[in-house]
Amino acid sequence: MAKVSVGNRRTLQLSERGEAKPGTRPDEVVIGISPAFGDFFTKTIVDIPHPEVLRELLAGIEEQGVHARVIRYRGGSDLAVIAHSAAKLSGSGIGIGILSRGTTMIHQKDLVRLSNLELFPQAPLMDTETFRKVGRNAARYAKGESPEPVPSRNDYMARPRWQAKAALLHIKETEFVVPGAAPVELDVRIQLADAG
Amino acid sequence: MALVIGVDIGNSTTEACVADIGPDGSTGYLAGALTATSGVKGTADNVAGVVKVVQEVLGRARRDPAELAAVLVNEATPVISGLAMETITETIITESTMIGHNPDTPGGAGLGVGTTVAFGALGTCAPGNTVICVVGAGTDFEDAAAGINAAAARGVTVTGAIVHADDATLIANRLRSPIPIVDEVTLVDKVPLGMPAAVEVAEQGRTIRTLSNSYGIATIFDLDPEQTRMIAPVARALVGNRSAVVVRTPSGDVADRRIPAGTLTLIGEHARRSVEMDAGAREIMRTLRRVQPLVDAAGEPGTHVGGMLATVRDTMSELTDSAVDGVRIRDVLAVDTFVPQRVTGALAGEFALENAVALAAMVRTSHGPMQALAQRLREALEVEVLVGGVEADMAVLGALTTPGTDRPVAILDLGGGSTDAALATSGGVVRSVHLAGAGDLVTKLIDSELGLDNRELAEDIKKFPLAKAESFFHIRMEDGTARFFEEPLPTEAFARVVALSDAGLRPVPTRHSLDKIREVRRSAKHKVFVVNALRALEQVAPGGNLRQIGFVVLLGGSALDFEIPDMIAEAVAGLGIVCGTGNVRGSEGPRNAVATGLVASHAAARSLGVAVGS
Repeated sequence: MAKVSVGNRRTLQLSERGEAKPGTRPDEVVIGISPAFGDFFTKTIVDIPHPEVLRELLAGIEEQGVHARVIRYRGGSDLAVIAHSAAKLSGSGIGIGILSRGTTMIHQKDLVRLSNLELFPQAPLMDTETFRKVGRNAARYAKGESPEPVPSRNDYMARPRWQAKAALLHIKETEFVVPGAAPVELDVRIQLADAG
Repeated sequence: MALVIGVDIGNSTTEACVADIGPDGSTGYLAGALTATSGVKGTADNVAGVVKVVQEVLGRARRDPAELAAVLVNEATPVISGLAMETITETIITESTMIGHNPDTPGGAGLGVGTTVAFGALGTCAPGNTVICVVGAGTDFEDAAAGINAAAARGVTVTGAIVHADDATLIANRLRSPIPIVDEVTLVDKVPLGMPAAVEVAEQGRTIRTLSNSYGIATIFDLDPEQTRMIAPVARALVGNRSAVVVRTPSGDVADRRIPAGTLTLIGEHARRSVEMDAGAREIMRTLRRVQPLVDAAGEPGTHVGGMLATVRDTMSELTDSAVDGVRIRDVLAVDTFVPQRVTGALAGEFALENAVALAAMVRTSHGPMQALAQRLREALEVEVLVGGVEADMAVLGALTTPGTDRPVAILDLGGGSTDAALATSGGVVRSVHLAGAGDLVTKLIDSELGLDNRELAEDIKKFPLAKAESFFHIRMEDGTARFFEEPLPTEAFARVVALSDAGLRPVPTRHSLDKIREVRRSAKHKVFVVNALRALEQVAPGGNLRQIGFVVLLGGSALDFEIPDMIAEAVAGLGIVCGTGNVRGSEGPRNAVATGLVASHAAARSLGVAVGS
């Protein structure tokens, strides 16, 4: 069993529990994290610690009274594939995919893979509030409600400023891909870091 | 044989009908066509639209323009309508006495009563105190829950919480003993501290019971009858909410203020009467009936209604190129509506549905420059252009080509800007009226009542049935049936209420439920078209008696609507009237009546001429 512990104010413990199985509860959202999320990488492209990212997504889902499951997608680093796989494993058909650098997507199982419900393509603009809203909206889709899409922010300077770093991060993430490997179920523990 | 085209220039569409007329007056209809009207009806700007529709109808009939003997144009009714709307009530909360809103996910359930304490000061509360915790911005939900648990462990009774962020369920899930929590209170800093307060959250699917009841509040705060009288508006304002907070402050109150909207003066042929705008639509319409027929209307200068009528007059004088004081308002339709408005003094961005009055006004202009228009048309088409026939007479003639109709017949022309009616008695006498308020007003009501601020979307909601996209492969129609699709629906439609427009599913990006949108749509149509249909028929019926009308034929663009004809038919069903959507020439539906009437009237005149000559 692999155990990792990363982060500053809070620690993130991800314990693998074997191959991820399709869920049956209609009130669940599955979060699919990329191969190196909370592992080799510990924060997004703008230094938001991964424990905070996952905590906000989970909080957004919990606040809506919906159940959440977290899986790690190991077979690729393409966001659409990760999000779509999470959606297909989700009992509600709603999944969230997230890359280590922060790029996020809400997907639905009946959609074609390259489509999506909501996409947040500019990782440098993702803050904790937005992650909370992403979790909230995913849960509301799962409940069959009609959430207003999370306001998508756009900064035309983000691309030139961050593109090189994003590309490097992507190459690094892709190095952790295990071709053909099945997604694994994760136990998530997020705790305040000990003062010592 | 002579080839003629009847052209009807309407407010929004220009319609044409082409026919061969024999020397004996026998008429062979060939085709019909319609296009958008160019410019304001009755002005020289119409030429472009007329030329287009003439070419189109000739193309459809496969006839050569050279064969054309004459183009017949009706004397356009010189009426134009305008719209205006004003809110007449306003809700104001003073001293931050209450919060009444429906956050998606309040936490816990039940009623908590105590003294308001800031989260930061919770640690200093003495054991035995009963408090309501006010959690400000920036406090994490885990910290909040830990703080409340710690206070409870020390013997402080925390009975409820008021939270800034969307955290209520998260906090409630982490408490040892659950308490009601109201969240998403944006201005939580303004909640008065150290005051007695009550927090109530209802179970999912229910509404609060105690804080929406004056005696409930009186019981909690131990109020005397006089104080209970003071608090009554607060209880009333909270009815229907799932969660609420009431803080007892020395002089806090909720005021439901009526905005002085001014006086509308209706000037009839024989009398003039004034009515306060804030008396509502019913009173305004009742006053209108007393002074009918209306000669003009005036609004008190410097008030809302003065502004509304001035806007209408200015627009009309500009459109018709006449002096402002020459514009006479010949009919008004007042409609009660409501507009979602932000509550003044509210702490959680609450909205209240404020009452509003929408006013449609009908303006009679001086007779349009029809002869000038005809001359321009002659030059453009190089063919004889005859202006003749009153629009109402022509519409009746056209309507009578509907299979199964006979005199006495009334037509109701449900347009965009006006509702027109005409009655042809057995003797052939035609009486007509033009009333303010039609399709455009319905669109405006839908737009404002749903708070869309998008006319195009409101137009689609008006015209098409609704459905909810429940999955990517099926939608639930408004009648409860399901419809399945082979191909997945577009992603923007997923989980949303959609209008089933001709161009596909049109998502309605609001939080309103399908039922609510449907209700608003149907009531807007009822308030405008059913009210106007009855008003119009009453004015043309002999002696105002609707039972004297045998047949009612619905014409015009709004007669194509999927529910308006049924609503009107239902409203007149008890009067022994045959009412239905027209089918001009047995093929055109409710369209093309005036154009067809022009041709029929021309043919009749010809046959008469032949008879006299022979």
